[in-house]
Amino acid sequence: MLIGMTLDNSKNNCKPAEVADEMSEALVEVANERCKRSYAKVFSYFAPRLRSYALKQMGNEALAMEMVQDTMANVWQKAHLFDASKGSPSTWIFTIARNIRFDMLRKLQNRKEDICSDDLWPVLCEQTPDANETSLDEQITLEQVGQLFENLPDKQRAVIEAIYLDGKSQQEVADQLSIPLGTVKSRTRLALQRLKDMLEDHD
Amino acid sequence: MIKFHPTDKQLTQFAEGNIAATQALVISAHCDMCPQCQEFVQAKSYEFAKDIENIHAHEQTDPAFEKMLAEITAMPMLNVRPDITPRIELDGKFFDVPKPLQRYVKHTGNWSKLLGKVWQAPVEIGGEYVANFIYMEKGGQVPEHTHRGNELTLVVNGEFSDGLNEYDSGDFLMMDSEHVHAPMSDAKDGCLVFSIVDQPLHFTSGLARLLNPFSHLFFK
Ligand SMILES: [Zn+2]
Repeated sequence: MLIGMTLDNSKNNCKPAEVADEMSEALVEVANERCKRSYAKVFSYFAPRLRSYALKQMGNEALAMEMVQDTMANVWQKAHLFDASKGSPSTWIFTIARNIRFDMLRKLQNRKEDICSDDLWPVLCEQTPDANETSLDEQITLEQVGQLFENLPDKQRAVIEAIYLDGKSQQEVADQLSIPLGTVKSRTRLALQRLKDMLEDHD
Repeated sequence: MIKFHPTDKQLTQFAEGNIAATQALVISAHCDMCPQCQEFVQAKSYEFAKDIENIHAHEQTDPAFEKMLAEITAMPMLNVRPDITPRIELDGKFFDVPKPLQRYVKHTGNWSKLLGKVWQAPVEIGGEYVANFIYMEKGGQVPEHTHRGNELTLVVNGEFSDGLNEYDSGDFLMMDSEHVHAPMSDAKDGCLVFSIVDQPLHFTSGLARLLNPFSHLFFK
């Protein structure tokens, strides 16, 4: 527990450069010494600001606090990844917060794509992908479609050729082949169904 | 040389994190190859961070924060695992891919010949989107097509042209139904691109038009 440790807020009015230096030093101490006092300094400066930012972005107190907690937990656990030569502590912490928010919102929106913030903004590069390989069905190639197409009955192939290769309308095909429009429609439907079945068998 | 970059607006939305994930993925891979855009994003991140610092957070000693601080400092510190750099392999040739795409290398299926000298390897990214690495050998051409949705492309390695422009490694392209193009590579070593589409392509010429009724099957 944090007995004797108060949330020190007196530094908030310092010049930005001084704050940045002080926060950098504190983060290095957190990384090297697991120094809770240094961490409390970083926490007391950033946590309330992140809460305001998160509230504005997420519009919900509970979500905002969740975002602050996740962000600040990352700062604690991965302080060794902070590199002062690459940017200021606030930029580093902002990017962590942005990533956390991005993933939280995607989860809320129930997005299915397997894309997470660590890939997009490699701020905390230690994420390793889960091991289960996904096997992918063999895909159909253009050449294979061509071959399947050859297997269609001549009458159906003529209709499909006229429509999909020559770009003719069904009426034009009916006129050209001197057959009723209804026949063109049914041949098209049968041909497409047949191609579809062949493609599915192929799987 | 990279000529095609995301717009300033796209880069800003990317830096802020207010952008569709698929766009973010391709922009991120572009930035990995493009120092100019990387710098832009870094500068924007700095500005956003400044905005947060400038928030006037007058804080009473909040018990919720006290509790949070105690919980966090009770957590163990974590170590970093060493980076492995997976590469894309085709026919004994290896290609480096930008960092943001490296995680997907192991989610990449086998190469299959799309036609002639064009190869495609599907990348499992889940959701509604279809992602592929596409490799055009020298002389390889993807049939002319347009897009029902958006097609995001990053040139990973090599050069290609599409009747609209010529592209080089690192170039970022976003195409929609306004664009009809027929990508082909004349480069000695061909061209590897990464592409994401949200709707099947619509082929506009030749035998390839036969594909249209089935393009959803191509794209699963
Ligand atoms: Zn760029």
